Amino acid sequence: MKDLTGLLKSVLKFPLKRSAAPLPFDAVFGLFKEVLNSNNRSLEIITDMGDKLGGDYIFDINYIKGAYSELTSSVGSSIKSFNALMQNRYPGIHDAFSRIDNQLRALIDEAPAPSGKLVIPYEDITPDMEREVGGKNAPLADLKNHLRINTPDAFVITTAAFDEFMKINGLDKRLKNGPLTESSLAELQRLIINGEMPQSLVSDIDSAIINLTEKHGKGFALAVRSSAEEEDSDFSFAGQFETVLNVTADTNSVLEAYKKVVASLYSQRAIAYQRQLGYDPAHLKMAVGCMVMIDAAVSGVMYSTNPYGDRDTLLLNASWGLGEAIVEGRTDADFYIVRKGVTPEAVISKAGKKDVMIINAGDNGTNEISTPDEIRGRLCLTAGQIVELVNLAGTIEKHFSRPQDIEWAISGNGRISILQSRPLKMEDNVHDNLTGPNQTALSGHTLIKNNGIAVQKGIAAGKVLIIKKMDELENFPKGSILVSKHDSSNFVRVMPYVSAIITDTGAPTSHMASVCREFRVPTIVNTGNATQILEEGREVTISIDDGLITIYDGIRSELMRQNKINSPKMENIHEFRKKRYVLRYISPLNLVDPLLDEFTVEGCKTIHDVLRFIHEKSVAELIEKGRECASRSGDHTAVKLDLPIPTGILVVDTGSALNNADKTEKITFEQIQSVPLKAVIRGMMHPGVWRSEAVSLKAGDFLSSMMRMNDIVAESGEFVGSNIAVASHEYLHLSLRFGYHFNMIDCYCSENARNNHIYFRFAGGATDITKRSRRIELIASILKEYGFNIRTQGDLIIARLSNISQEETENILDRAGRLIAYTRQLDAMLHDDGIVEKYAKRFLEGKYEL
Amino acid sequence: MKQLQIMVIDDEKIVGDMAKMSLEQEGYIVETFLNAEPALARLKERQFDVVVTDYKMKGIDGMEVLRTVKQLYPGTKVIMITAFANLDTAIEALRGEVHDFFPKPVKIKELKSSIGRALSESK
Repeated sequence: MKDLTGLLKSVLKFPLKRSAAPLPFDAVFGLFKEVLNSNNRSLEIITDMGDKLGGDYIFDINYIKGAYSELTSSVGSSIKSFNALMQNRYPGIHDAFSRIDNQLRALIDEAPAPSGKLVIPYEDITPDMEREVGGKNAPLADLKNHLRINTPDAFVITTAAFDEFMKINGLDKRLKNGPLTESSLAELQRLIINGEMPQSLVSDIDSAIINLTEKHGKGFALAVRSSAEEEDSDFSFAGQFETVLNVTADTNSVLEAYKKVVASLYSQRAIAYQRQLGYDPAHLKMAVGCMVMIDAAVSGVMYSTNPYGDRDTLLLNASWGLGEAIVEGRTDADFYIVRKGVTPEAVISKAGKKDVMIINAGDNGTNEISTPDEIRGRLCLTAGQIVELVNLAGTIEKHFSRPQDIEWAISGNGRISILQSRPLKMEDNVHDNLTGPNQTALSGHTLIKNNGIAVQKGIAAGKVLIIKKMDELENFPKGSILVSKHDSSNFVRVMPYVSAIITDTGAPTSHMASVCREFRVPTIVNTGNATQILEEGREVTISIDDGLITIYDGIRSELMRQNKINSPKMENIHEFRKKRYVLRYISPLNLVDPLLDEFTVEGCKTIHDVLRFIHEKSVAELIEKGRECASRSGDHTAVKLDLPIPTGILVVDTGSALNNADKTEKITFEQIQSVPLKAVIRGMMHPGVWRSEAVSLKAGDFLSSMMRMNDIVAESGEFVGSNIAVASHEYLHLSLRFGYHFNMIDCYCSENARNNHIYFRFAGGATDITKRSRRIELIASILKEYGFNIRTQGDLIIARLSNISQEETENILDRAGRLIAYTRQLDAMLHDDGIVEKYAKRFLEGKYEL
Repeated sequence: MKQLQIMVIDDEKIVGDMAKMSLEQEGYIVETFLNAEPALARLKERQFDVVVTDYKMKGIDGMEVLRTVKQLYPGTKVIMITAFANLDTAIEALRGEVHDFFPKPVKIKELKSSIGRALSESK
């Protein structure tokens, strides 16, 4: 890895001093294209790594080293071009990349530098910290941080703290010198219970409790749970170590509980278990998780896949109060067998007697009480809760790629928390009752066959949900098949819950595609017409294997079942899991929406984030420089567009935008060579959209227009009086002013979908704010239909769309051209709210008369 | 029916682990080795139907494994895998009667079908 370090250093040496002289637009455009090229190369490498580390290939560390070395080199080039483009305005990008690179190199070199921290809050835990936080905390924190699943707030007292504690009490030497006999173990446990705590640990625990108190107020309690290094990884250690429940959240109580848990590592029973598995008890370390106690109304355990019978079912136990009653077998709990699938359904619901239940005791500890008569024999869970639990189990099993044994709790307000998730030991049961998958597959009606590009293989079934607008992701029904016209990185938000993704357009190396591989969501892009073939609510089964794509009508459960049995469980291989971890710092995307505040360099946690940040900021820079260039149009030789409609547009040609060999002052539509400019103008010239007759303003609107004139001029300065297009063959920056309306379109439209973007901005209007707002609403609803991501503020609208094919970009620009022409005088007509919907609908139907 | 025996030699544990998991799923019996010495000792004890070996290993390398296998059991097929694929290594391996030669990462499906072919050829 030395060469990588050298390379990184050379990238980091790039001068950071700021250059004051603004770059000419040609240089900006050249650097922008350099950024795109390097970013594309990086995304291709990420795609390849996702494929090769996905379980279909046998790989070794040399592959990872080689691929990562290439990746570093192309990200380095991106950063270099980006810095030149931005004139070093984002020095933080170096730190972000360098931080991620350090983590990756430590993983690749298999020498992860432990953080050395004694206490780590759950939200700061990353997957490479397994050794520090123990095998129970690591996956739970992963569910919290990666899947955003609800788990209790918590902190971990690390294995580093354990080392420190053992050392200052001289217990490490005692362990090494052995032998561990019955009496020496008892003595060791006594010394631990009476041991002195390292002062730094005491103050770190103090701070961690203060942080939790800020969120939970005073009076909350903690569950102090063991999390030994190897616990829950390859061996469960179930029930071997102590858990202390309902510990008052003060440092002394936590320390006392901590020592009890640590001492349990050396109980005779635990030592015998460790020896049986081949562990040397002198080497095993204990981390301890301290999590905020859930005052559980109902708790239980579920096996995400039934290990004893039908693998399409899940086992669920539930009882009133805390889960201790179940895990320690102290009560006869309710028992459910639930059929998984699109609509989970309990096939067996057996109410337990539940004579006793365990509840939090007033100030410390727990009490076993007699279950009140009115609830004793009643089933604890509602049908809705069962569905929610089954969906959660499905998400967690999918994430860890193996069946899970999951502890959960439901608080008084009905919120489900996951308390623990560990691999479930399954018997290999390949030969259970199966009908041949091909037979089943062939008998089904096929909706789509080998149409589109396979991004992530797999088999999935569910109900089709067509997403037209990004706000429809808000209440995404878990387990649905997401079908959409375009692919979008916004889908990251629902990635843990989506069964499969199918899009009409899109590329296999897009941001979304790489996240789909990371989450192993079966995905097909570029089908052309999935949104037309698959109607909303239809149940379908998708099969993607080796590039072969089939979408069947209906749920093919045999196919699902066969797939589950056939896929090798690579995740069971420790080395595989460990090596695949590198992807965690490469593929996930945390910077989703560039219009949101958290889209910052500090928010970059993965290589993918760095690339996304660079891309979006480069686009923003291009827009800004395009605007500046447009405003300085006098510097250039601008030629006038001679069109049948009076747009008054001057074009600044920055490279092959126009065919103007004779250097005439006016050019016609036919002479436009710029793909995006031609598309917008074509739209503006579309029959019927450009109204030449004036729309009469009502008296109030006229007054309002007079009063607004000054504001608009002040807000938009150089735009006034100039309609300017800065264009090349693939690029367009268009600033338009028609009356009191200001439009800006910035677009890159090339053969590579991933490079393409459309930025649409609109502001102004002559009428009163109500009518202007109605027009904003109208424009927003039309642009949303075309897939734009939109922000509005007063009478300003900002819309953006990216990663679209050239054909689609041209098509949308044509529509945008029509929209600009259509809405020029529209606000004066928008007399009531109802009319907005009417005009939007008419526009989308191609009816442009007002 | 007799279960077919496959030996996998690679100095990286993940290669043996992944090969073992995917090949056992096909019903083969798989033994894995992290270096060639114990593998060759085991070969002297018993015949395997197919040997999958890394090309470049510390100590005894893949070419030597190939020679030894061919000497002991001319009928046993050898599949070579390597992270450092170039034309020379491929030619050298092919001259040494290797059944197949794969650069790493190896697509599991291709490895399985290569083993399938090797077994049907040696019948």
